[in-house]
Amino acid sequence: MLDDKKDDIFLSRWISGELSEEELLEFKSHPEYEYYVKIMAGADALNLKDYDVEKELSALKSKSSYTAKEKSNSVIKLWPYIAAAASIAIILGIFLFNPNESFSTNFGEQLSVTLPDGSEMILNAKSLASFDKENWKENRMVTLEGEAFFKVKKGSKFTVTTKNGAVSVLGTQFNVQSQNSFFEVTCYEGRVSVTNKENKKILTAGKGYRNLENTDPESWIFDIKEPSWLSNTSSFRSIPIKYVFKELEEQYDLKIKTTEINLETIYTGTFPNNNKEVALRTVFSTLGMKYSVSKDSKTVVLEK
Amino acid sequence: MSDNNNSTCNEQVFDKFFKSNSKLLRNYIYYKFGDLEQAEDIVQDAFIKLWNNCSKVSIDKAKSYVYTIATNLGISITRHQKVKFKYRDYITQRKTDINHESPEFIALEKEYMEKLKNAIADLPERQREVFLLSRIDKKTYKEIAELSNVSVKAIEKLMHKALLTLRGKIGNI
Repeated sequence: MLDDKKDDIFLSRWISGELSEEELLEFKSHPEYEYYVKIMAGADALNLKDYDVEKELSALKSKSSYTAKEKSNSVIKLWPYIAAAASIAIILGIFLFNPNESFSTNFGEQLSVTLPDGSEMILNAKSLASFDKENWKENRMVTLEGEAFFKVKKGSKFTVTTKNGAVSVLGTQFNVQSQNSFFEVTCYEGRVSVTNKENKKILTAGKGYRNLENTDPESWIFDIKEPSWLSNTSSFRSIPIKYVFKELEEQYDLKIKTTEINLETIYTGTFPNNNKEVALRTVFSTLGMKYSVSKDSKTVVLEK
Repeated sequence: MSDNNNSTCNEQVFDKFFKSNSKLLRNYIYYKFGDLEQAEDIVQDAFIKLWNNCSKVSIDKAKSYVYTIATNLGISITRHQKVKFKYRDYITQRKTDINHESPEFIALEKEYMEKLKNAIADLPERQREVFLLSRIDKKTYKEIAELSNVSVKAIEKLMHKALLTLRGKIGNI
C-alpha cells in the first residue's frame, strides 16, 4: 500500500493536482498508482439523482407552515383597524369553510386519490373518505366508511379511523373495510396496528384481521399482493352471505330480496365486479339458489 | 420585516438563496445521514425555519443557519437508529459512450462500479461526506472546509484517508 508515504495528505494533493512534477513522476511508477487512478475514474463517473430546484421551491411554498410575508407594511400601519377586521374575517372564513376534503364513490365505482404527501388511497364502491388537507402535515388521518386500499408513504403516523376501530401505520400497504358492523383489515406490506373498543392487534404483511357482529375477532394468513377488488373481483373467506349480498348490491346497484333465506349461511368464493350476469350466477348457483331479475334489472328475487 | 433588498424576508432574495443553496445542502445531508428522501425533507424544514425567522437571520448568515439547522435535524432523526447508507437507489453512473466496448469489459466495469459504490457506502461518515462532496459535487477542499467549519488541512487528511480506505476495500480488481 502507500504507507511508505509519510505525507498524510498526499492523495488529496494528487487529486487536486497539487503534486510537484517529481512527486507525480514517482507516484506514477508506484505499483499502487493504477488502482488509485481506477478508483478516481469510477468515482468521477458517479452521479446523484437529480434535484429539481423549482419543484422543491414550490413544494416549500405550498407547505402550511410557510406563510407569505406582507409585502408593504405601510398599508397595515395606515389602516390597522381595517387590517384587524380583515384578519378576523379571514380567521372566521377558515373556520366556516370546512377544510376537509371528501371523496365518495357510487355503486360499482372505484376512485384513486393521491393524498397530499403522495400516499395513495383507492376507494372501492359505495365508500366515503375524508381528510383534513390543511393539517395533513401534522396529522395524517383519514376518516373512512366503506372499503379502501392504502399505499402509505413513509413519514409520521398515518391513521384511518372508522366507527368500528382505528388502523394506524408508519408506511405500508393495507386494506380497510368498515361497513355497519363489519370490520376487516388486511396488511400487504410493513406493519399495521388495529385498535377497536376491545382489542389492539399488530398485523404484519400477509395477515388479516376481522371483527363481525356477534362473533369473536379472527385472524388469518394470506399470500396475495393486493386486494382482489383492485382487479375487479370481490372475494370472500368464510363469511355470512348477508355481507356477500351487500357487496353485490354495492357493486351493481341492486336490491336483493331475501325472504326465507338464512343470511348467516357461510360463503367462501369470488365474483367479478364488471359482469353482473356472471356475478349473480356464480354466487347463487354455488349456494344452490334460484333467482330472477326484475324488468328494470334493479331487483333480484331469490327463491328457495 | 422590511422591504430591504438584502433582507432574507424579501421573497426574491429568499428564492434566489434557495435556488443556489438547496441542492448542495441536500447532497451534504444525504452524504452525512445516508437517506436521500429524508435529506430532501430536512432541506424543506430547514428552509421553512429560515423563512419563519427571516427577520432575525441576515442573508449572509443564512447559509450557515440552514446548514446548522439541517445537521441538527439529521442528528435528532438518526440518533435512535443507525441507518445503513442507502446508496444504490440514488447514485447512478454517468452515461458514457460505451458502445465500442466489448460485453466482457462492460460487465467487468459494472462489477467494479458496484464494488466501488459499496465501498463508498461503508466509508466512515466524515470520509464519505468529504469524498462525495469532492467527487460528485466537484467542490474544492476549501469549499468543503467552509461547509463543515473545519480547516482545509483536516479535509485534505479525510480525503487522503477516504482513498486509502477505498483502496483497501476494493482490492485488486
